[in-house]
Amino acid sequence: MTSRSYRPRRLSLRDGREVTLRAVLETDAQEIVQSFERLSNDSRYLRFMQHKKQLDPAALERGVHPRPGREFVFVATTPTADGIDIVGGARYVRADDRNAETCEFAITVAEDWRDSGLATKLLASLIRRARRDGYRSMEGLVIADNAPMLALARDLRFSVHRVPEDATVVRVERTL
Amino acid sequence: MERPWLAQYPAGVPAEIDIGKFASLKDLLAVTCARFADLPAYNSMGTVMTFRQLDTASRNFAAWLQSEAQLQRGDRVALMLPNLLQYPVALFGVLRAGMVVVNVNPFYTTRELEHQLNDAGAVAVVVLENFAHTLAQVAKSTRLRTVITTQVGDLLPPFKRLLTNAVVKHVRKMVPPWQLARAVGFNRVLAAGRTQALDDVALTHNDLAFLQYTGGTTGVAKGAMLTHGNMVANVLQVAAWMSPNLKDGEETVVIPLPLYHVFALTGCLSFFSKGAQTVLILNPRDTPAFLKALRQTRFTAIIGVNTLFRALLDAPAFADVDLRPLKLAVAGGMAVQQVVAHRWRQRAGVPLVEGYGLTETAPVAIANPVTIQEWSGQIGVPLPSTEAAILDDDGGVLAFDQVGEICLRGPQVMKGYWNRPDETTKVFTADGWLRTGDMGVMDARGSIRITDRKKDMIVVSGFKVFPNEIEDVLTTHPGVQEAAAIGVRDERSGEAVKVVVVRKDPALTEGDLIAHCRQNLTGYKMPRIFEFRVEPLPKTTIGKILRRALRDGGSAGPAAAAPAHAPAPTD
Repeated sequence: MTSRSYRPRRLSLRDGREVTLRAVLETDAQEIVQSFERLSNDSRYLRFMQHKKQLDPAALERGVHPRPGREFVFVATTPTADGIDIVGGARYVRADDRNAETCEFAITVAEDWRDSGLATKLLASLIRRARRDGYRSMEGLVIADNAPMLALARDLRFSVHRVPEDATVVRVERTL
Repeated sequence: MERPWLAQYPAGVPAEIDIGKFASLKDLLAVTCARFADLPAYNSMGTVMTFRQLDTASRNFAAWLQSEAQLQRGDRVALMLPNLLQYPVALFGVLRAGMVVVNVNPFYTTRELEHQLNDAGAVAVVVLENFAHTLAQVAKSTRLRTVITTQVGDLLPPFKRLLTNAVVKHVRKMVPPWQLARAVGFNRVLAAGRTQALDDVALTHNDLAFLQYTGGTTGVAKGAMLTHGNMVANVLQVAAWMSPNLKDGEETVVIPLPLYHVFALTGCLSFFSKGAQTVLILNPRDTPAFLKALRQTRFTAIIGVNTLFRALLDAPAFADVDLRPLKLAVAGGMAVQQVVAHRWRQRAGVPLVEGYGLTETAPVAIANPVTIQEWSGQIGVPLPSTEAAILDDDGGVLAFDQVGEICLRGPQVMKGYWNRPDETTKVFTADGWLRTGDMGVMDARGSIRITDRKKDMIVVSGFKVFPNEIEDVLTTHPGVQEAAAIGVRDERSGEAVKVVVVRKDPALTEGDLIAHCRQNLTGYKMPRIFEFRVEPLPKTTIGKILRRALRDGGSAGPAAAAPAHAPAPTD
């Protein structure tokens, strides 16, 4: 992990709040579950595109053990009285086993951290990281009426494409 | 903004309506009842209520709400009623007392009912006894203080009332036992209200008239705030639109769709404003009774959804119904199928006139001119005082014939969602357009055609079903690992709900899930097709579900043929 490790950074957000951005750790699993439980139905639906009651344990396991160079997971944390709170996360994974140049991304931000600019910082960091890891393009599926996410993607120079035979989602894509 | 569609308006339909004509639905009621006083306003099970009788009954109902129940202006009153004479009495009673109507689907399960009553903060409810058992299970967890119960025959003449109520209760056994503290009977309310004072509430366009509930893609049902202004506008728009085919005080319209559905509600009020007699059909799924009512009525107009017109055409006894007086048949709620349009035109002599709208637009925004001779296959052109545009994702107006989201502006567009400012912000563009969630094109003449749906939603016989809610219910079953709901084409209902389920408990059966869904979902939301899979549902590498792959993946299983839990427009 050495050359690919990521030194934690303090980020100042638009609304004056601060978070720490760092790579995910194995020990974050419990905290990720708690963060997921605090998410609204809406947020879960926007992330997974289906109703999600709980995180799939196998997926969680993969999430806290990203394969270096191939996948990366950022978490944004903030210290609280009872420990560390994860208030946002961003992740990329190789989109297709046969194609080492394209990765797929996803972002989640806790409800009370919306409109703080956190999502933009997470995605911008993820783009830089994927580029360093050798990817040439990044893509993602977005619910078609998730206007805030689409606006964010456009700001970060993603292009938006229709998905054939499904108007309920769109594909965003950019070169790295 | 250019309005190319105005050239398509038939003679006599104005480009703009004057919404200042009535300050509120209360004014509209007063003017209409005075004008058509002794004409029949509503007809249910062969019994007529005149405009004057409606005026008196709704006045007494309103007086009781104010004086006896001590309800305040702006309080929400739920109506949990099917199409009976009690509905218009309660509706106008609540409105003229200055309160807000919350229409409730009487077939709701306890889960759905409790959510809606609490979300609306309803403090009173009018419920048909047949559904009082559902209400009784949740009443304690709500803010309800006043419960008015009614029996099917309550507003029928004395002998018919006793007979009907006895048959419903003891012969057909349609009233499960219930107990509700301090419930008051509908007729007792009307009798007491006669001697009680009614405070004449001054209502304006800005006052709320309805919280009309509609599902949401990513969450639970939310209430569209429809003001008196929204409703007056849409009633006048629709009435003006229909005017080339209808004469004031001379028409009879058949309303088989439930009045708690916004399409029937405003449609009915529009006919009412023209002094028409409205024939209320209690249960259109009871085809023999429905056909009997049609045979006994000389009707000049009918409103329905594709599923219903299809069912009529398929019924052999429909051949005995006299359609010669018919001047107008309106279809909405769901896409009309070409074959149904064609058969209807041949049988009825008048085409199906298709209209389009949303709960959020009170509802009608776009419609075909009523003077068309053939079904057009398009949703039509914007109504008077209404603007439509096809917008791209950034809110820019697209050129003719380009696909984008259909967006609407007009006096019928809701104020917003009740207690949900975030949802309200999301549905309007910066320029004040309401995003419909439907994709379409406009041609150079201003006619609009729907091409696709942006909102993840399934339309079953005109009722919207949101996959998220179905998945929420399914995954609360302990035997379910994961589940996804999708829409599949269905000849009868347009679309049907199909669910794809991965079991956690290998012993889980379709029967288990049907029983579970029945407890939590009203009829039209019930999945019709269950498919079980062993492997996880198809997802992208990062874990987003691929609904398109689910649709392509499996064809209808053997359950597809089972009509036992098929939905229909009445539930």
